[in-house]
Amino acid sequence: MKRNCLRALGLTSCVVALFSLLGMAVDLGGIVANELIEEISNAAGLNLIDQYIADYTVEELTDLAANGLTSGIKLAADRALFKLNGGLLALIEMDNEALLALAAAGDQDAADAYVFNGKGDYKKVEVVEAAIAATESDTLAIALGTLLGGFYGPGSPVGQKTEAELLDLVVGDSLGLRVAAATALTTYWILGSDLTIPQVEAAILGVTLVYPEKALAYQGLLTYLYSL
Amino acid sequence: MKNALILASLLVLTSLVVFGQGYDEQPADSLVYPIGVAGTVYEDMELGVRGGTLTYASIEDPKGWNNHTAHETSTTAFTNRMLRGLVRNDHISLAIEPDLAKSWEISDDSLVITFHLREGILWSDGTPITADDVLFTFNDVILNTDVDCNSRDGMLLPDDTYPVCEKVDDYTVTFTMSTIFRPALNQLGFNIMPKHKLAQYVHKLNPAVPVGTFNETWTLDMDLTELVGCGPFIVTDYQPNVSVTMSRNPYYYAYDPAGTQLPYYDSEVTAIVTNSDVSMLKFRNGEIDVYGLRAEDIAILLPEGARKGFQVLISDAPAFGTTWFLVNMDIGLAEGTDAEKREVYRNVKFREAMAHCIDKETMVRNVFNGLAGAQWSPVSVPSPFYAGRDYYGGPITENNAVAFEYDPAKAVSLLDEIGVVDADGDGWRDLPSGDPLTIEINTNDNTIRTASCLILVDDWRAIGVNATFQVVDFNTLVDRLFGASGDFIYLGLTGGNEPNSGANVYNSCGSLHAYRYSACDEPDEIDLRIDELLGLGAGTFDLDEAFGYYTEYQQLLSRQLGYIYTVVPTFQYGYYDYVGNAFKSQPDRTPSRYTGLLGELCFDKRL
Repeated sequence: MKRNCLRALGLTSCVVALFSLLGMAVDLGGIVANELIEEISNAAGLNLIDQYIADYTVEELTDLAANGLTSGIKLAADRALFKLNGGLLALIEMDNEALLALAAAGDQDAADAYVFNGKGDYKKVEVVEAAIAATESDTLAIALGTLLGGFYGPGSPVGQKTEAELLDLVVGDSLGLRVAAATALTTYWILGSDLTIPQVEAAILGVTLVYPEKALAYQGLLTYLYSL
Repeated sequence: MKNALILASLLVLTSLVVFGQGYDEQPADSLVYPIGVAGTVYEDMELGVRGGTLTYASIEDPKGWNNHTAHETSTTAFTNRMLRGLVRNDHISLAIEPDLAKSWEISDDSLVITFHLREGILWSDGTPITADDVLFTFNDVILNTDVDCNSRDGMLLPDDTYPVCEKVDDYTVTFTMSTIFRPALNQLGFNIMPKHKLAQYVHKLNPAVPVGTFNETWTLDMDLTELVGCGPFIVTDYQPNVSVTMSRNPYYYAYDPAGTQLPYYDSEVTAIVTNSDVSMLKFRNGEIDVYGLRAEDIAILLPEGARKGFQVLISDAPAFGTTWFLVNMDIGLAEGTDAEKREVYRNVKFREAMAHCIDKETMVRNVFNGLAGAQWSPVSVPSPFYAGRDYYGGPITENNAVAFEYDPAKAVSLLDEIGVVDADGDGWRDLPSGDPLTIEINTNDNTIRTASCLILVDDWRAIGVNATFQVVDFNTLVDRLFGASGDFIYLGLTGGNEPNSGANVYNSCGSLHAYRYSACDEPDEIDLRIDELLGLGAGTFDLDEAFGYYTEYQQLLSRQLGYIYTVVPTFQYGYYDYVGNAFKSQPDRTPSRYTGLLGELCFDKRL
């Protein structure tokens, strides 16, 4: 994941924070167009997918997904295209070898579909953890980690971890486990955190370049808060 | 999405035109669900508002709209929403409650049940519902051998006769039985069908139509405006492989305490999808409102619920049915072999040892992904007659459970006590004579059962019992079950509300009394008492009295350890937060499609 140092300045974030503090509606279009911090921009972008579908043609979306000025614009356009193309429903029809090949080439959606198709084999925490340990593919590690996050998170009948355990894991060595922890932390925070939008944005600023999966966890919470 | 909403609105408008405008005012005899009323099982539910469309998914198309010729749940899932019976099992408590009948009386000799129908309630086309519809459905459809009716067997009384249904007046019918049989009340909850629409298709009433015409009535290709029902919804549109739309019945007779006519939703749309994965993805995408989860879905959906605004409800209430292994106490009896093994198997301390070696916790965790509960009783946990509900966190009753906790040390002690010890030092326990004891447990090719058996065998071997496990095909397994030729067998049985429905299994002469068929000729005191309790429980209309009999029945069977119960899966489902009252579901149904959700009580909170 490329990162632009300018994002660290977070100037736009401060403006957004001010909006929030004043109790004004969050301007998601403004955030996604101007925000340089990837996770904040993405959180806004993830709330604009349906709007992008309504506002742009496929050609425009394709262009935005490739050349959008911010991470959030690219993500919103990419997810809009994904949805228009049938989303995971279309991908799970492909055979696993093809999915694996696409995943190896860096296609995260293909990796997600591969893990989705194999979820019957991934019913135990230990099995998913072992699969993460065995894979050399980042996309598969992320897909498996996202699944594992469901086991680690609140409400899970097996494998649930405490928030403290997850905070350790999210900065650990394994990409898959970090993603799992991030997924579960987001759930914990959505259900139990009283952090405000400015506080989450500030938290992202503090970790974005150092602990990307922890920032990802905050991004999940921010996406939710922006949606309210 | 907008198009779908517009379509749904149009359908509702169409249905109003076809059905009429509904009651001018709430009928005096309407059924009122005590939604939000303290002290009732509905007290934690909310009063709703009318409007909106509730969406589900199903992996099967219906095969018709004729309730009494349907043999598959893909059809009855819809017909059960179009039709109602005289009585119903309450959605939540499962107790028998009035439905189309507002009350009933049972004669002093318990042989005659008199039902009083609600007056002033109408079919969806505005025609009054009367005793003629009840007689038509029972006498001319269910008991009519020209009709390929699925529910006839359920009406058969223990003496191989059927109840006699007679009309007293337009709103009173009687069912007369030749023998006392309380479960008959349950069976009399059959769906009533409209005589004015269907009598013309029954040969005995209209000789102009050929025999069997009724079986070809209300098929998928019919004009749906001809469908008439008395339930909350009526099918108004069907697109094969795409969807079924049901619209509110304007003459449904149920209301909430605020006087709002049910159902709350204007319509229910069931999307027909190719498989459960598609259902799951549609739920994730917000295209359907409710989804019955599989264990493998939980980890995917749990983290998304909070973000997307849906709940993943993981019930701690086990589903209906039982899962068990049996110890064949008649092993070798027919062949004149295995006398000592048989004697050991018939020693209850041996069976207790085996029961103490069932690691139900590991089964629940490893086989069911945590979504199951320990089981001890032959009666399904959701049954109102289940006597150990507190075992699952009640308390609804006192602790009546006879639970054999996982205790290998206790098992070792019991085996030592009866002389099943390792006589020759080979590491395996032997029969008291010193002859080797080997056990083979069989099940069919079912991943859940196979995994459960592996856990059992591991634990038994760990205490020195030389147990092995073998998968056999289902028919072979059933042959062994009925032929008393197996050793240990691992299987399951379906279950229902009424314990007496298990008489074919637990009565000493039952056709599935597979752990000891010889009990029919040589019953011991416990067998005799179990037989007696089954009869006593079914032979009284006093439910408290029946519960008392069935409690003792469950305790005796649990101690007898013929069928040794293991674990039973729970059920779980997901629903979006905006579906009011969806947190509560009907425990004897699976919400994977539509039958488990209390659809007529759900409402759209966004309105």
